[in-house]
Parts: sequence; C-alpha cells; structure tokens
Amino acid sequence: MSEMKDMILDVAERMLKDYITKDVVDILEKGDWAKDAWNLFQDNGIISVAIPEEHGGAGGDLEDLLNLVRLTGKYAAPIPFAETTLANFLLETSNLTTVDKIATYSLQEGFILQNDQVSGTLHNVPWARHAKYLVAFVKSNQGVQLALIDLADATIQSSTNMASEPRDTVTMSDAKAQLSPVLSEEQIFYARSIETAFKIALMTGAIEKINELSVQYTKEREQFGRPIHRFQLVQHQIVQLAGETAIAIAAFNNVCAAIQSKNLLHEIAYARIRFEDAIATVTSVSHQLHAAIGMTHEYALHQYTRRLWAWRDEGPNSDYWSEHIANYLLNHDDKLWAYLTKTLENS
Amino acid sequence: MFQLPTVQFTEEQEAFRLEVRGFLHEHIKRGTFTPKCDSWLSGVNPSFSKLIGEQGWIGMTWPKKYGGQERSTIDRYILTEEFLASGAPVAAHWFADRQTGPLLLRYGTEEQKQFFLPKIARGECYFAIGLSEPNSGSDLASVRTRAEKVEGGWIVNGQKIWTSNAHVCHYMVTLVRTSPFDGKNKHAGLSQLIIDLHAKGVTIVPIRFLTGEHHFNEVFFENVFVSDNMVVGQIGNGWEQGLAELAFERSGPERILSTFLLLDELIQELKRQGNKEGLKQATKLLSRLWSLRNLSIGVAKLLESGDAKDVAIPASLVKAFGTKFEQSIPEIARLLVETYPKLDAERKFDRYMAQSILHAPGFTIRGGTTEILYGMVAKGVVAK
Repeated sequence: MSEMKDMILDVAERMLKDYITKDVVDILEKGDWAKDAWNLFQDNGIISVAIPEEHGGAGGDLEDLLNLVRLTGKYAAPIPFAETTLANFLLETSNLTTVDKIATYSLQEGFILQNDQVSGTLHNVPWARHAKYLVAFVKSNQGVQLALIDLADATIQSSTNMASEPRDTVTMSDAKAQLSPVLSEEQIFYARSIETAFKIALMTGAIEKINELSVQYTKEREQFGRPIHRFQLVQHQIVQLAGETAIAIAAFNNVCAAIQSKNLLHEIAYARIRFEDAIATVTSVSHQLHAAIGMTHEYALHQYTRRLWAWRDEGPNSDYWSEHIANYLLNHDDKLWAYLTKTLENS
Repeated sequence: MFQLPTVQFTEEQEAFRLEVRGFLHEHIKRGTFTPKCDSWLSGVNPSFSKLIGEQGWIGMTWPKKYGGQERSTIDRYILTEEFLASGAPVAAHWFADRQTGPLLLRYGTEEQKQFFLPKIARGECYFAIGLSEPNSGSDLASVRTRAEKVEGGWIVNGQKIWTSNAHVCHYMVTLVRTSPFDGKNKHAGLSQLIIDLHAKGVTIVPIRFLTGEHHFNEVFFENVFVSDNMVVGQIGNGWEQGLAELAFERSGPERILSTFLLLDELIQELKRQGNKEGLKQATKLLSRLWSLRNLSIGVAKLLESGDAKDVAIPASLVKAFGTKFEQSIPEIARLLVETYPKLDAERKFDRYMAQSILHAPGFTIRGGTTEILYGMVAKGVVAK
C-alpha cells in the first residue's frame, strides 16, 4: 500500500458523495452516465492511479486502485472507472502503452487474430458504446495475446446487465490492433485473477452500502410503536448482514495484503468463492428488512442489490475458482492444514 | 467498525509454527495422544499438559517472572491453531491458560500472581470457570451463589453447573454475589473468588454428556471458607472483570477449528477417490474457513495492539459465525463422502464424523449462546 492511499481515497470519496446521488445513478437507465464525475476523476489523476509516473500515470499501486474501485462500488458510480483502470492495468503488465481515454476490457473467448488483424464477436462487453478502446484477449495459432483495439472500427450493439449497466456486443472484422507477445498460461491466469479482484472490490463496496442502508432503515422504520430494530427477529437479520459485511471487508483486505505475494491466486479464489454466500445473504436479508419499499424503483436499495446479482455472473465466477482449487488439491500431496497455512499466509 | 488489521506472519513465526507441528506429529507417532475433534474441551490429559508446560507453551505471553515467555499474541494464536489442527488433548490447562492467567495478570494481587501463574505455566495447575447456575444460564447477572463476609475471608454457599472439567481442576474462579441483588443495577454486587476445589464443603457431581463422557459437573458449595487473599480484583467488580476477557474467549481459533480434523479427512478422502466434483463442493467449506480465520486473526491483532475499543462486535461475530461453521462441516461432509459414523470406527473419517456430530450441539451454546451474541452484535451495530 502506498502512502498516497489515504489522501486519494479521501478525495475520491468526497467527490463520489457529492456527485453520485440516487438520481445520478438512475441516469444509466436512460443510456446516459455521470460525465461530470468522470471529468473530475480524470482532472484529479484518479483514473491513472497504479500507472507509474514515468508512463504518464499518477503512481500508487494496485492496492490503492482496488480501494478506489471499492469506493465506486459503494456509490454505484455510473462511470467506466473499473473498466478503464483494469484495461490500463492489463496494458501496463503486458508492456503495451496505456491510454488516457475511456477504455474497457474483455477476457472472454471470441476474438480471432489472423494476419495481425482482429475479427469476431464479444458479448457483454462493459461500457463499449462509451469507450474509445477495448483491451481483449485474441486467439491465434500461436496462442493468446492481449490486444489494444480502437472501437471506432467496431460494430457495437447496446445491451445492459440486470443493473442497467452497459453490456454491449462488439463485432470486429479485420481490425488493426496493438498486440502483446503471446501470453504464457501464468500471464493469462494472472489477468483473470486481477479481473476477479476488481469484481471483489466492487462487490465489497456494494455490500458495505447495503449494510449501511439496511441498518439505517431499521432505525427509522417504526411498527407497533417502536423502531423495528428493537424486534429480536429483526436483530437476527441485522447480525446476518453485519457478519457478511465484516467477512467481505476482511476478505477484500486480505486480497489486497496478498497482492504482492505468490499466494495471491489462492486468496482471490477463496474470497470469490466466499462472496457467493455473502451476496446470497446480503441481497435477500436487506430486501426482507426493507420489505415493500426496498422493491421500489424510487428507493436506492436495488441499485446495489441488482449490481451484486449481475456482477456475480460476470468474469471468472466461483465455479471457475472452485475448479482451480480442486485441481490444485488433486495435484498436491500436502495435508490440508499444511496447505492452508502455507498458501494462505503471505510469507 | 468492521475494519480489522491483516496479519503477515514473520519468518520466525512460520518457523515456530513448524516447530509446534513437528512436536505434535512426533507425539502422535509415539502414541502420546490420539487426535480427536473438539479436544480442547474433551481431551483431558494432565501428563500431556505438563509436557506442553515444559516446552514453555502455557502462558507463553505472560511475563517471564511469572513463568511466561513474553511471546506475542500472534505466537500464541499460532500455537493454539496447531493444537486444534492436530486434535491435541489440551483441555486440562485450557481455561487456566486462556482465561485465568490473563485475569490474574490484570486484576490479581502480587501474591496471587506469584503463587498461581508459574504453576499454571508448568501445566500443573488447572482452573475451572464457575459462571452458570441452575437458574442462571444466559442471564448471568442473576447468579445466586453467595459469599458472606466473615473474619479473614468469605463463606460461600450455592451451586454452579455445567462446569467443564471441574473434576480434574484444582481451583475455580467463581462468580458470586457479595451483596444482595438490586433490580436497578443487576450487575453490581458480583465478585470473583478463587475457590480451592478440594476444600471442605465442596462437592463435585458429574453430569454425563450425551455420549456418556464426563466433561460437565455440578459443583456444590456448603459453607466453604475462602480467605480474603483469594478475592480476585475488587469486591463488587466481578461483572466488569469478567467482561474484560470475553473478547479473548470468543474470538480464538477454537471457535472455528473444533471439527477441523473432519474437514481434513474429508479432503483426504476426496483426493484418494480422485473426486473432483466433491472437492469443488468442499472448496465452499475452505472459503468459509479462510474468511473466518481472517476475522479471528484480525481480532487477535487488534487485541494485541490494545486498540480494543471496537473489538466486541467482530469478536462476537467470530464466535457466532465460527461455531455455525464448525457445525456445518459434518452436515456437508457426509453428503460428499459415504460414511457410517461410529465413535470406535477404524476409519478416521467415520470416527471424526461421529465425534463432530455428537459434540456439535455444544459449539453454539458454550461461552455465550448464539442468541446472546446476536443480541449484543445487533445492539452494537444499531448504536453506531
């Protein structure tokens, strides 16, 4: 974690608080987005955190960036922040030149490379219609490479995920691209890990916000002549939220602490698998606590629960990570405790 | 309120972990003990406790002048994890190490520290915790065992119940009423006395556990004399003194790992069978263990740094969620690997399964029921 972390997080959170109101999150449904907030982020160098200064970035490290992503999740900020910063992080780690315009990414299969030109279709590409660049895996006879593609050459069909966030279909035909060398298995896996870490950060922020909204609501809502948090059955629900929130934050912090270590992949895998429980509990309990009001468009809860429901099926999911761990266990002789204490501590 | 520190173990700590593990494996090989689930409550073995004491592994965080090693809380955390992961019989000295030592260090007289702590650290002196009474379970402030002042000490009359391992302990830290119950301030008038369990007037009667094993006891006090120098801290301050240790009691690895041996065997069996689908299912359990361990170690670190202001909520969450996790292991494991659970089974998986199922009801009751913990957490969260 770099020294700039606290300061930059402070600045970013104040901007998000001021700019990203409930109404601003709603404009996404009309196909618009929070350009003001984006410009502020850009002017303050927040979108170029974790890009080294010698490459024109703002410095800081991946942990700083993940904490910023967590904040954009906490405010459901309708800006392509996670997308642009992840795209740039992938470019940076592949020694490609980073970009200073809106960018997005896709690590799914779908693009083919022939004669150094990219063709194919990718579905559910986040924010593609608003982005200038796409960073994607492309497949050739040699293997998988990372490509930086100008979306001006693409056909884009708009669509959204369950949370009304842009998830578009991108089709390319013999488009030019800047290409990385062929990636090793480890590099491909690392990119997927970091993609997952970004999702974990977003989810952590949304879970924090849902917990806040829910606790606040149980203090304000009165029935039978008293605030509902005084009822034991409601308290039981509040504790479920508190537990899942504490677990999510600790999981996120441990992923961050492991960023520099060789055990990162296990930490990310376990965090991501555990977030399945957290999301199932947090979404159902928070809606139950809010009852009817929570189901309305007018109240903000759905802006966070819908995002969690959408995000959990985007990118490498918990099944992907369970498979990874199961294969690891099958191929290693360590006893379980030795494995857990060796891989899960950042020695 | 949910921000906990993360812990990176040092190389010395890693080495210490391996030292403890090596020691325990050696003693399993030699037959000193047979690993068991829930061994921190059911594994009473005084000669093993003495062996642990010789290693300097009881009271290891205490000052050297009282027989301790002045090691860190994280070192002790590692030690405890290794005991639990190996199913070592540490029950005899458990409460003295976890609760009585810290209590005396904080509130005890110099005489008490010098008398008790070195003996505890040698693994020769065991303490029971006297809290529950027949009509006083979760509602602890309603205890009725009373102590009346007499020349040079106190006369105790009353009864404690569910006292784990009182029959092998030498002393009991006993919560008693030293002034009459006051409905307006029900936590006042309580005190902690150290009672010699071999003193005249003390009667210990076993309560058989549902397996027939003897862990619990009823302890009766009939005109038992306790001298003034066996009062812990201040008369009337028993409630506060007791609360101070709860975070330590609630958030340790024993709230996560009581059925770890079964989880270990589950993974072994699935690997032996090459059952990848089963292993994928089991990763859910591993992810839950990983995330609870993050919380538990975070609380330990927070307690060590003395920044204990906000520790009550996460500490209670560790116990409430951790013990549910311990209970869930047999329920999930039996669906992934076929079993016929038996306490005397030859196959470890079946034996640990039986131990886990039969001991599971206690996990969410002992040391504060889940219901009481939920109430505390909810009130704490709402008050923020």
